[in-house]
Amino acid sequence: MMKTYKIANLLVAMDVNGRTEKQAAKYQVVGNTADADILIHVNAEETLQRFPDISYDDAIYLSSGKSFHRQLLEFEGMMLHASAVVVDNKAYLFSAPCGTGKSTHTALWCRVFGEEKAQILNDDKPVLRLEEGTWYAYGTPWSGKHDKSVNIRVPLAGICILRRGEENIIAPYEGKNAVIDLLMQTPKPKDMLSRAKILELLNSLIINVPVWKMECTMDPQAAIVSYEAMSGTRFQ
Amino acid sequence: MKIKEGFILREVAGQIVVLPTGEDLNLNMMITLNGTGRFLWERLQEETDEAALTDALVKEYDVDEATAADAVRGFVEKLNGNGFLV
Repeated sequence: MMKTYKIANLLVAMDVNGRTEKQAAKYQVVGNTADADILIHVNAEETLQRFPDISYDDAIYLSSGKSFHRQLLEFEGMMLHASAVVVDNKAYLFSAPCGTGKSTHTALWCRVFGEEKAQILNDDKPVLRLEEGTWYAYGTPWSGKHDKSVNIRVPLAGICILRRGEENIIAPYEGKNAVIDLLMQTPKPKDMLSRAKILELLNSLIINVPVWKMECTMDPQAAIVSYEAMSGTRFQ
Repeated sequence: MKIKEGFILREVAGQIVVLPTGEDLNLNMMITLNGTGRFLWERLQEETDEAALTDALVKEYDVDEATAADAVRGFVEKLNGNGFLV
């Protein structure tokens, strides 16, 4: 059934079922499909051709996310494969290839700060959107297996590219060098216009938002190290 | 020789990025270029050859021909080896 949602401050019309519908429930709003900024096209069969080992339910999840992202570009927004955590109304994003430990790291933030002070904005693909000259992060229905997301907008304070390591070492990542890492973690629709748009947005993002590079361990100290560097304050 | 159709080149945060587009080009062909690479890449948008590229480099960068020829050969080999050229 076609329903309307508010995602990343855009009216989105989408007809899905299964886990995608469940994860999108908190984004649902009353609205007119005809007024939608974005109309999601789901092609689960095409997704299954590319990824034959996934379930039909997961194919709907991936296909709808892909359709959303492609159209989001027209509204100065993009998705980043990252886990986003919020502390003091600032969003901190941790990006890395699958299996590196992004969710583990943001979960450590939650442990170290407690549920009152830290929350996961989105655990799989938050939206980053440039609005009135500021970059914001948003929760979305495409929030990973455990559906950790919050339907809010938060100013983006920083992005950190993670790598597993023996020690916790974080440093600013020079924009020039961060470009490819970030490009690897954003969906890239194949057409020329979309790809040109992604590069344009990435340029603005890297120029305006601090980017960091971190080697991290899996213990709570890692969260304190990244928080102190990225927020510029001492952990209390 | 020249570079296949369908690549876009943009400067992103001071980095020169080349992205393939369309169905036929592989995402492995996402690369970055330095100043010289960009210079040669732009010339390779038109049909050209190593001699012409070497000549252009010598004029633009005030280097001797042997150095330029080496740079051109290395760049062309890399492009060719990775399927960029037509």
